[in-house]
Amino acid sequence: MTATHTQTPTATTPREVVPAPRSAWVTVARREIVVRLTDKAFLGGTLLTLVLICGFMGWQVWDSSRTSSYTVATTQDDTVMGERLAAEASGIDEGVAVRSRAVPDAATAQDLLRAEEVDAWLHSTDGGWVLTTLDSAEGGLTRVTQDVVRSAALEDQAASLGTTAEALVEGSTVTTEFLRGDVERSQLAQGVSFAFAFLFYIAALTFGYVIANSVVEEKQSRVVEIIATSIPVRQLLAGKIVATTVIAMVQMALYAVVGLVGLSLTEYSELIFAVTGPVAWYLVFFVAGFVALAALWAVAGALASRAEDVQSTGTPLLMIVLGVFFGSFFLDGLARTVASFVPPFSAVLMPARMLDGDAVWWEAVVALAILLATAVVVVRVAERLYRRSLLQTGGRLSIRQAWSSPE
Amino acid sequence: MLEIRNLTRRFGGVTAVDGVTFDVPAGQLTGFVGGNGAGKTTTMRMVMGVLGVDGGEVLWQGHPVTPEDQRRFGYMPEERGLYPKQRVIDQLVYLAELKGMGPRPARAAAEEHLERLGLGGRATDRLEALSLGNQQRVQVAAALLHDPVALVLDEPFSGLDPVAVDSMVDLLRERVAGEVPVLFSSHQLDLVEALCDRLVILSGGRVVATGAVEDLRSQGPLRYRVRLDADAGWVRDLRGLHVVDVDGPLALVEVVDPGGEQALLREATRRGAVHEFTPVRPAVADIYREVAA
Repeated sequence: MTATHTQTPTATTPREVVPAPRSAWVTVARREIVVRLTDKAFLGGTLLTLVLICGFMGWQVWDSSRTSSYTVATTQDDTVMGERLAAEASGIDEGVAVRSRAVPDAATAQDLLRAEEVDAWLHSTDGGWVLTTLDSAEGGLTRVTQDVVRSAALEDQAASLGTTAEALVEGSTVTTEFLRGDVERSQLAQGVSFAFAFLFYIAALTFGYVIANSVVEEKQSRVVEIIATSIPVRQLLAGKIVATTVIAMVQMALYAVVGLVGLSLTEYSELIFAVTGPVAWYLVFFVAGFVALAALWAVAGALASRAEDVQSTGTPLLMIVLGVFFGSFFLDGLARTVASFVPPFSAVLMPARMLDGDAVWWEAVVALAILLATAVVVVRVAERLYRRSLLQTGGRLSIRQAWSSPE
Repeated sequence: MLEIRNLTRRFGGVTAVDGVTFDVPAGQLTGFVGGNGAGKTTTMRMVMGVLGVDGGEVLWQGHPVTPEDQRRFGYMPEERGLYPKQRVIDQLVYLAELKGMGPRPARAAAEEHLERLGLGGRATDRLEALSLGNQQRVQVAAALLHDPVALVLDEPFSGLDPVAVDSMVDLLRERVAGEVPVLFSSHQLDLVEALCDRLVILSGGRVVATGAVEDLRSQGPLRYRVRLDADAGWVRDLRGLHVVDVDGPLALVEVVDPGGEQALLREATRRGAVHEFTPVRPAVADIYREVAA
């Protein structure tokens, strides 16, 4: 028989199959999401993390709201100080309440302490005052007592000098302030920066391995050969990146919401609204940085032939993610400013500088533009590497091999 | 019909497939036979477009095959697995949807094929919970459920029990009855002989024999088996025959000169009783051994 190259009509019979849909990535993404959401390990891990966050927040709330009550014994002359302590304790530290108990002598005070009927025995000595407790220091009570005793001593000595305590300490207080921003905000900025750097690190790493493993799973079982004959490989990669990004964002948002609700119950509640603007920058940078890294993790999966290989093909990415994490709080000054424009560091550093009030809006826009452009280039390069290594089955590939291997 | 023309693929310095040419006619089962490393899988992957070609081409209905054509083919890759953790029905629906079927027809097709392959009750099980044989049936279903216009199956029968082979062959025959060309590779030569209409034998990356099974068998050397009363050693003295084997009263001879077998029969009846005188057509396994040696 001779092969004629004339275009014979191919539609010999109408079939149900329609031409390759441009939206095949939606089908891929949907499956990835369903698989992840029905994966017990993933759900269990998410739940455990939420429980830990709730527990930590709950402990913070409980710890800040609880009041410790102490009974302090005093003898004869010292009773005045004991009553003053009882009266002023809660004013100094709202977590501490003191009840004064007058006892006849030192021996009785010690007996009551041993019997645990009182928590402390406050008594004067030649050089000052002693707070005796049974076998452990009571931090809150000690601080309050020190305060009260110091004020009382100051007042006594001021009176003997013919002046007042206020006059004595006048001009001796030190408060802090910043030219830019304020103290509370700066502390909060550090806290939020750390939280986001940490979330980015966790997301980039856990979901990185998730995407790499889902790629190598398909490669190992050769399902990918069936898929590659069904849809363009680009659509498969796009579906995986979209699905992983969506799941990562939802999971991170869940953690953030639970954390913020917890924060609103603590004494920092009024600061939440101060950071919402910069937090929006975080989200945008987070997504752009995550997408670029997800594409690279997919390549790490495609370069492997077996699930075990991912450990080594993923190592460079692990280094990058670690670098971003540590860079976010070890970089300083000019290095920090420069790095805040360099992907992938910019994903975490630029919003951190925004939060510090250290960068102006156009810097963020420039950094974002660079990050997005890099993400696009990375996804394209990744697509080529992915496409070329996906169907190679002879062991682990190097990036160079994948890049130059024929299709 | 699927035509493979001069297909060549090199890996480094090794030519794995070297100018392979054969046809897979519509409505026929074409068996693809060859030893390990003969190039069967490489050829099939090139036909499906998952491996690039270094030379030659694949024609579908007379024109160079396109990804759109390959999309409508059914393909069963060499290694098995699909998604171990996913439910059987879910992954079949997914694969059908990737082929462009709507969710509803995809589900209907998946259910129908599982039923046909005797897995109707296992649809909601995870794939890994199935025996290897049953996992393979799921793989077959995956290759068939989008109503493919051609089938390329790499070792579809390995690991299947005879009953499973029968139900799969029925299914394949049903498909072939239309105009679907089927190319399948196998190590099980007896199975290939029983099933396929055509045969392509590959050795060292080259086609060493191709054609209808009957034609190939009839091209083989014509042999006769005789069973006599007494020792058959005397057949060695006859002319026009090549003696393949003599074992007591039993002899297997190959006819060298036409009519040699008639001389043998005359001499045998002259000497005594003849209990058996049978022409022996070479089995596919014999042809294979001969051409692939």
